[in-house]
Amino acid sequence: MAKGHYDLLNGVAAEDAERILALGSRVALSSGEELFRLGADADCLFLISHGQINLTLPMKVRDQDADVLVEERAGGQTVGWSGLIPPHRFTLRATAPVDTEVIALCREPLEKYFAAHPEAGYKVSLNLAAVIGQRLQLFQAMWLREVARMMEHRAA
Amino acid sequence: MEMLLMGICFSVFAMAIAALAFGATVRGKEAPTTAPQVKAEPAAAVEQGFFVSQVSVPTPAGRVAVPVEALMAQLERHVRLEQAAAASFLEEPTSALLHSKTASPFLN
Repeated sequence: MAKGHYDLLNGVAAEDAERILALGSRVALSSGEELFRLGADADCLFLISHGQINLTLPMKVRDQDADVLVEERAGGQTVGWSGLIPPHRFTLRATAPVDTEVIALCREPLEKYFAAHPEAGYKVSLNLAAVIGQRLQLFQAMWLREVARMMEHRAA
Repeated sequence: MEMLLMGICFSVFAMAIAALAFGATVRGKEAPTTAPQVKAEPAAAVEQGFFVSQVSVPTPAGRVAVPVEALMAQLERHVRLEQAAAASFLEEPTSALLHSKTASPFLN
């Protein structure tokens, strides 16, 4: 994805996109740093300017707590959509495996802007639905693959 | 009388040495036949007996314990491969792509 192009702002008028980005604040993360933790209150979502964000879930591996990779997001992509979607709790843990910069867009200023500019709000909502839908479809396919393997294993 | 007591003492001592020598010989002969009979049982299969907390479950013979870091690396590779396979299916939804095989270390 081209630098400066964010999937959340696809189809949004350039003027609106600039104003929305101006509502955010840039957050620099060094390698290994946590962006948000599982179960934390979600007040903001994040656009990745550059670098990478790993989304993980906790798992017990040989009685040790380990974070299992669920998704990798790169520059231009969005993480932390729970910031806009109720119940506003993060359902994954996000960390930066390399030096990364994100733009934090918090719910309150965004909602005010969208109330004043409903067309921009509509476009952003569609883009956010696409991000959520992509994860849903991906995990639906992964789950089906796993169920198919389980059935094969039982039938064998 | 003293001679009799000394005789008894010597006899008991000699019997003890003979018993020890016999035991060592028998153990030495049985060891090779009994050792391979130890089989790994899953923890759930261990009988919930009186001393169950003191029972150590034998580790499966011949299985090399993979370090947790290596296991996590394999798991990450598995997730990436599964996501790539699922993404291929979403790009072109067909039954063949949905159930395509990957080179995941957990499935081969």
